[in-house]
Amino acid sequence: MAKLNVLQHELVPAHHVVKKEEEDKVLKELGIAKDLLPRISRSDPAIKALEEIHGPLEGGTIIKISRKSPTMGYSVYYRVVTSEVFK
Amino acid sequence: MKYLLFKDTKKNMEMLRKDLPARYAVEADLKDCPAGAAYVTNDKKNFIYRIKIESISPYKDQEGLFKKRQTGLKSILELSLVEPVEPVPLSEFKVSGKKIKEFADFTVADLEKTEFKEKKSYSDDIPKEISEIISIASKRGISIPVSVAEDLAKYRTEIGKEGFNKLLERVYQDLETKMIDPHEAVGIIAAQSIGEPGTQMTMRTFHFAGVREMNVTLGLPRLIEIVDARRIPSTPSMTIYMKPELEKSEEAVLNLVKELENTTIIDVADIVTDIEQMTLSIVPTARKMNERLVKHSDISEALAKVKGITVMHDEEGKEIILKPQQESFKRLYQLQEQIKVLTIKGIPGIKRAITRKDPSTEAFIIYTQGSNLKEVLEVDQVDSTRTFTNDIIEIANVLGIEAARNAIFNESERTLSEQGLEVDQRHLMLVADMMTFGGNVRAVGRQGISGRKSSVLARAAFEITTKHLLRAGLLGEIDPLTGVAENIIVGQPITLGTGAVNLVYKFNRK
Repeated sequence: MAKLNVLQHELVPAHHVVKKEEEDKVLKELGIAKDLLPRISRSDPAIKALEEIHGPLEGGTIIKISRKSPTMGYSVYYRVVTSEVFK
Repeated sequence: MKYLLFKDTKKNMEMLRKDLPARYAVEADLKDCPAGAAYVTNDKKNFIYRIKIESISPYKDQEGLFKKRQTGLKSILELSLVEPVEPVPLSEFKVSGKKIKEFADFTVADLEKTEFKEKKSYSDDIPKEISEIISIASKRGISIPVSVAEDLAKYRTEIGKEGFNKLLERVYQDLETKMIDPHEAVGIIAAQSIGEPGTQMTMRTFHFAGVREMNVTLGLPRLIEIVDARRIPSTPSMTIYMKPELEKSEEAVLNLVKELENTTIIDVADIVTDIEQMTLSIVPTARKMNERLVKHSDISEALAKVKGITVMHDEEGKEIILKPQQESFKRLYQLQEQIKVLTIKGIPGIKRAITRKDPSTEAFIIYTQGSNLKEVLEVDQVDSTRTFTNDIIEIANVLGIEAARNAIFNESERTLSEQGLEVDQRHLMLVADMMTFGGNVRAVGRQGISGRKSSVLARAAFEITTKHLLRAGLLGEIDPLTGVAENIIVGQPITLGTGAVNLVYKFNRK
């Protein structure tokens, strides 16, 4: 393995891009506006890795994260990509 | 596939590109080199051109040759294609299975591209019958844990359809009574639930259980460190796992330890300053050299990178004498300080590494003092899917915000359980979620979550009251009084429990 694929790391849960058509469905299910979702930076290593697969991701793309949860087995979480870059 | 790598300027490449096919004379002797594809870099880091070599022949002076320089030419490359490509980093090339550490002007290497694959959702691994039960439940608006669904699946065939429905009904009822109520102040409950056991924690930091003198901050100081989101923890430490095929071999583990530990010159040698001669002499200690597996040549190699010095060896070949080219005491002193911390081998930041055998799996695990996640994960023998560090900010930078969230949860849970305290995991998950809400790791406190609340009164009630009130007055901030603290301040019922709903009673007149 030459370059590091962060998506394979145990600490990183599965990240998936939510398609544009499905966004409304997700937001309706959550009953929330898009800008109130938790955020994930565009410069986040996991987003960078997703960009290797899907091509550039615009700000405002919703990322579906399915986490391993000690109480529920698994849980689904959503984050929205922001163009904000930290540090 | 084998590729020839070499360094050249952009200008040369563009010139060659214009008149293809071209013959290009280079100064390296490439007699045994395979013809074929090659990559060209201009900065020794990223390869930006791909070229196709038809054949390689020894240098002869002939017409129509493109020359980089006039003298010292040895080979002629017949090029049929030169094209700019997406930059390929040096780390993607390997020579006989190993990464290239230093790139000379000409190297033959294999290209190994990392394929980026999405991880399968954890929910995809769940057996069909169990996920079926979960989906039946979610249709009714209730999500049930996988463990409960597993139990239900066991009885599904046994009790028949009708019995199963009854059982589901009971599970729903049970879950509903245990579910948290809408408008419950979960944050305050979490704060209390972590805070109360927190008072029982000891201020002491314990030794690392049974292993040579390695200290790791534990207990209350560590918990404070986690929620404060410190840039660098007081005792950064890594847990390194090796690739499964190597982790049981003691030899491989010890070699890796030697490779990881950052060895500087002062670790293996004494440095003597001779003021009269204006020289520094490095006197290696044989015992220390053997211990750290450092060879004499390693020191010379490390010294070759230092600029502005003359390196000499004494007659016996034991000492290495350095003389700064600029003769001044200041420079001599600077050089001494510089040489002391010069890295011979190892990864910067890893001060010590020790191994421990896991009794249940017989596998070796390496614990380190000091942390450098990015570079350790790129070492070939290291299992890059399991290795982690206790530095949460570093995890956020290298693996992303979701990994940092998991790290906060794991670290705080471990810290609490090591002290024998039981805090419900849900409280810790809430803290971890809140700390990573904005996409970066934010501390709990004045600079972080509490200091960024939208309500002016809630912020003023927490810390630095005057600053917040003054700012709010100047900017004309509006407080909608939706939270708990602000409603207590103004003396209204708080929006929790019965205060969360507005009941309007329609009097029915007869």
